[in-house]
Amino acid sequence: MERDAREEARNVIPEGTRYYLPPEAQARLELTARWRALFAAWGYAPVELPALEIFDPAHPLAERAFKLVDKSGRVLALRSEFTTALVRMARTQLEPAGPHRLQYAGRLWLRDSEVGLGRLREFAQVGVEVFGASSPRIDAELLSLAAEALAAAGLAGARIEVGLPAFVADLLDATGLEPEPVRRLHAAIDRKNTPELADRLERYGVRGALAEALLALPDLFGGREVLAAARRHAVSERARIDLDWLEEVLALLPAGVEPLFDLGMARAYDYYSGIHFRAYTPDFGLPLLGGGRYDGAGVPFAAGFALGLERVLEAAGRPAAAPVPDALALDADTARALRAQGLVVELAWTDDLDELRAYARARGIPRIAGPEGEVRP
Amino acid sequence: MTLSGFDWVVALPKGRMMQDAYRIFARAGYPLPAAAGERELWHAGDGVAVLELRGGDVPTYVDLGIADVGVAGRDVLLEAGRDLYEPVDLGFGACRLSLIRRPDDEAPVRRVASKYPRFTQAWLRSRGLVADVVKLSGNVELAVLTGLADAVVDVVQTGHTIRAAGLVEVEVLAHSSARLVVNRSALKLKRAVLWPLIERLRAAARTTSG
Repeated sequence: MERDAREEARNVIPEGTRYYLPPEAQARLELTARWRALFAAWGYAPVELPALEIFDPAHPLAERAFKLVDKSGRVLALRSEFTTALVRMARTQLEPAGPHRLQYAGRLWLRDSEVGLGRLREFAQVGVEVFGASSPRIDAELLSLAAEALAAAGLAGARIEVGLPAFVADLLDATGLEPEPVRRLHAAIDRKNTPELADRLERYGVRGALAEALLALPDLFGGREVLAAARRHAVSERARIDLDWLEEVLALLPAGVEPLFDLGMARAYDYYSGIHFRAYTPDFGLPLLGGGRYDGAGVPFAAGFALGLERVLEAAGRPAAAPVPDALALDADTARALRAQGLVVELAWTDDLDELRAYARARGIPRIAGPEGEVRP
Repeated sequence: MTLSGFDWVVALPKGRMMQDAYRIFARAGYPLPAAAGERELWHAGDGVAVLELRGGDVPTYVDLGIADVGVAGRDVLLEAGRDLYEPVDLGFGACRLSLIRRPDDEAPVRRVASKYPRFTQAWLRSRGLVADVVKLSGNVELAVLTGLADAVVDVVQTGHTIRAAGLVEVEVLAHSSARLVVNRSALKLKRAVLWPLIERLRAAARTTSG
C-alpha cells in the first residue's frame, strides 16, 4: 500500500508542467526555429540569459515568481519574464548607444498561473528586443516583424492590436489626483466599466473636457477612425505628442499590416512609454504575443515583443502525427548515403528482417534499404 | 458540438437572473432562443448560442473564450478574479456582500465562513486582519449560529434572513448587481456584433433603472 503510494508519487510531475512527446515537441522545435531564423534574417542576434535570478522584491512579477534559497542563504528566483532580465543585461553589458537588435527563446516559470488553455506554470517564449534607439521606425519594424512571425506560425487570421498607454497615463496625470483614485480610474478604464468610471469621475470632481476624454477611453477601440476620435480628446500637449508618434508609426507600416486599436488598453500604463501591442486570433481567447516601447524603464531606450509558444501552437491547432522517417537502413554505409541525399534515415537495430518489416509497416516507413539495394517492406 | 458557426455565444447563469437576462436582451432588441427542452444544456438561435451555466462558471467560460459575452453578478466576478471587460451594469440582481455576526460579538474576527473565500481573504488582507477563511456552499449563517465561525461574509438582499436568524449586518463590503462581461479578444475581433449589443444593453439598462 505504502509502496504503491511511493511508486505513484515518483511518477507525478508538478501541476502546470507537462511532457511534450514527439509530434508536439517536434512542432515546438520547428516553430521556434522558424521564428529564430526570421528574426536572424532581420538582423536580430541571439542572446541567452540565466534562468536563475537574484530575487528582487521590486520585480514586476516578484509575488508570482518561484523562489529558492542558495547555499549562502541568498534568495533566488526562477526567471518569470524576459524583459526585466534583458534590461538588466543591457544596462550592464551593452554600449548605451544602439540600436542593438537581440533575440531570445527560453522557458519562464510562474507560481500561480491558472492551469489550462496555455496557462502553464512553466512555459516558453520567443522574442526580440531593440535597445539603445527610439524612433517611430523601430516601432513600425517591430509591428511588421510581429505580423511576419504570426504569418510564419500559419495564423493568417490573427490581428495585432495597438494601444497607447502613454496617452492614458497623460490623461490620468492631468487629473492631478492622488495615486489611489488614479488606480481606481485606471481599473475601470481597463475593464471598460464605463458606468463605474462615470461614477468615480463625478465623485473625484473631474469635470469638463478632461472627464469627457477619460470617459471616451473605454470605447476608443476599432480601426483607424479611432485615432481621429482620440485627437478630439487629446487635451494635453503630451497626449498630442503621443498621438503624433503613433501616426508616424502607422504611416511606416507595410501594406497588409493593418492593426486594430484600443486606446483604453493600458494594463501597465506606468511602464510603457509609448505603444503597447498584442495579437489575437478568432476563437482563441488569449493574446498570442505582447510587446511595446518602454523607454526609461531601466534603460533609456527599449522596445520589443514576445510570442507565447504554447498559446500560438494551441491557436494554430495541434500537429496530426509523429514525424515518420523516409527509410530504414540495414547498415551504416547505406544510412550515410541516404542521409547525404537529405533523407531522414533510421538504422536497423537487428538482423531479423521480418521484425524490421513489421516495424516499418507499423510506423509507415516507406523504404527498407541495405548494401544490396532496396528490400521489399 | 461546435460553437464556431455562431456569430456570438452568450453564457447565462441558471435561475432567477437568467429570466431577467432574457428580458433585458429582448428589450435591447436581441431576443434569445428559448430552451427547447428541460434537459437542454445550450440553445441555438439565429446566429447566437446560449449556454446555461452555474453562475460561478460564467466568468470562466467568458475568460477562456468559449462564450463571447456573459451575465454575472458583481459578487461572482469579485470572487472569480477573472480578467474580463465589464461594460454594462444591467441593473437587476442588486444585492450586497456583507460581514455578518452575532449582535453582541465585539471580539476580533478569528474565523470567517463564506461562499466567497477569495473575496473574503482579499478583504481581510486589505484591512490587515488575520483570520481563517472557511469555504462553505450554502446556509452560511448557520456557521455563526453553530460556532463554526465567528463571522460570515455573504450576499444580502433584503436582510430578512439575517434578522430572522438573530444576526446583524455589521458592514457592507461591496455592492453587487448583474453585469455584462465580455471576453477581451472577442470584443476586438467581433466588434461589429458586440459593440451594438453593448450600446443597446446600456440603453435598455438606463430605461429600467431610471
